[in-house]
Amino acid sequence: MNLPDLSLQILYGRLGWAIVIATVVCALWRRAAPMSRVTLGFVIALSLAAVALPGDLSPAWSLGLAFQYPSGLLVGCCLLRLGERWQGIRRSQVMPQALAGVLAVSGTLLYLDAVGFLARGFYYAGFGAGLAPAMAVLGAAGCVLAIVRGHARGPAASLLGALVLFSLLRLPTGNLWDALLDPLLWGWAVATLLFGAVRRSGRRATDRIAAVEPESTTSSTPAPSLQPAAAEHFSSLKEQVSGK
Amino acid sequence: MENLQIPQPRPRNVVLLGCVLLVLLMLGAEGMRWMRGAHAAAQPTMSATRGAGPVTLTELSHTRIPAPKGMPSAHASSMTPLPGNRLLAFWWAGSRESGPDVKVFASTWANGAWSAPWVVASRESLGAALGYGVRRIGNPVAWTDRDGKIHLYVVATGLGGWAASRVAHIVSNDQGASFHVRRVLPTSPLFNTSALVRTSPLALGDGGWWLPVYFEIGNKYPMLMAFDAQGNPTSLARIGSSTSTLQPAIVPVSKTEVRALLRDDSEARRMQHATSHDGGASWQDLPALDLPNHNTSMAAIRLASGQFVMLYNHAADDASARSVLRLSISDDMRSWRTVADVASGKAGDEFSYPTLQQVGDELHITYTWQRQAIAHHRYRIHAEGTI
Repeated sequence: MNLPDLSLQILYGRLGWAIVIATVVCALWRRAAPMSRVTLGFVIALSLAAVALPGDLSPAWSLGLAFQYPSGLLVGCCLLRLGERWQGIRRSQVMPQALAGVLAVSGTLLYLDAVGFLARGFYYAGFGAGLAPAMAVLGAAGCVLAIVRGHARGPAASLLGALVLFSLLRLPTGNLWDALLDPLLWGWAVATLLFGAVRRSGRRATDRIAAVEPESTTSSTPAPSLQPAAAEHFSSLKEQVSGK
Repeated sequence: MENLQIPQPRPRNVVLLGCVLLVLLMLGAEGMRWMRGAHAAAQPTMSATRGAGPVTLTELSHTRIPAPKGMPSAHASSMTPLPGNRLLAFWWAGSRESGPDVKVFASTWANGAWSAPWVVASRESLGAALGYGVRRIGNPVAWTDRDGKIHLYVVATGLGGWAASRVAHIVSNDQGASFHVRRVLPTSPLFNTSALVRTSPLALGDGGWWLPVYFEIGNKYPMLMAFDAQGNPTSLARIGSSTSTLQPAIVPVSKTEVRALLRDDSEARRMQHATSHDGGASWQDLPALDLPNHNTSMAAIRLASGQFVMLYNHAADDASARSVLRLSISDDMRSWRTVADVASGKAGDEFSYPTLQQVGDELHITYTWQRQAIAHHRYRIHAEGTI
């Protein structure tokens, strides 16, 4: 069990919360009006200035009171989202469904264990001297592979950042779980899965309607030349591909 | 004219190089930690048995520790020894439990008297050192390491009630005169909340110690955090798999067995206990003891003589859960005989949260007296046949 120095934790907490605050402010920005780089820079600078305020004037004081420290991965994801905003990317790739699924399932098990419904000691294993550091290094190697191959580069970079922070400085708490997950990130992952499920079911409904309409059109005005229009049935998939 | 082109590294190669360097750095850091930290887990120390055998206890004195002015509420005392057969006691006091003015106070026992109390921790002092807010202050638990440093663990809550508790670790290099914050102990993935301390630590053979901890959001369960001789946490483990026990009082029974006596929050209302035969790495819940426990905290230690003493609330039919505080002694941790009712009152009275400490041939007891003060009793420990 190697724990970080308190002064490092304080510094990490302030920087981490500044990044999270800036991301939340950007997310609340009117979607209709794209955020300019000047505005984004101003929001980030303001967040950093706010958390640097002394004592309870700093938002980090209240956020720490409630949530202690954000996980390294949450900070990484927020940084990535800010980067997307900077590049004007509207459709975020920060939390792909696969990552959201892994975070949601592992978080559920971890929290069930933490509140006592399970007695598996998942959280305690995150302090381990052998397995947890080995998992961190292996995970980092996997992230490097993903980055080099161009698979989910953004999330892989976020994960790599969190693992590097853990291995080099043991931030935020000395526990591998706290580097990779916190209840806020878990909530984000669950929300992503839910929105994804709602979007998919909505799309299926739209597709069903689209499939029924050509049939009725065909029956009223039988025109063989219109048959290929049924291929538009898969238009949503096309959108998904082009969005990548 | 010929254009000389200097070969530029491709961005993909730079990224790859950077990433590989990061992973190598990680590997190096983890390898160094692993080589430095590879050591076997220490076992709890058995008392150096002086004149092992049955003992009797005779009360020498009882008093109350001076209360801080303007602080009508006091609770949750803890004691730790100082050189020269002295003691240091800690407790929290304020206008009311959970009040914003609650602070941890200390007082020294020397030459048969308690000193005037002084403040050692408040939500302001902890918040300033931690860089984030502390909402309320709760139970303190003290430990003196082999270098004479005092380690004090203080419950400090986040946003919420006691279920949002965290444990701050503060240290004194001057026998309790002043403290500095070392860290907040990491105990839970849920914003590091709902971990509390109450019962006394236990010495380990390598100079380290075990700190009993417990969790309480809905479910309640006991935990154990081990520290090395320098006061750095080395491991954290859950005690048993019960979801209705808390505040473990841990006692070494033999060279291979450690027992945890547990406050019971279930309908059984019996003292619960668990055992470990592998130095606290794993614990098994045992059937409840035939002793009442109406959700109240107890204290237990092993005397230098080898016998076990326990202080707990005996819930008689005509009394309430905390109106009788009983001192019992045992040779084997199975059958207990009553030494005395240290305090007893009418239904509704409260004598609770006891702590025990052996100093030389004296047994010191402190406990919460009616939520208004901390009471102190002193017993002489006689080997049977010497009186």
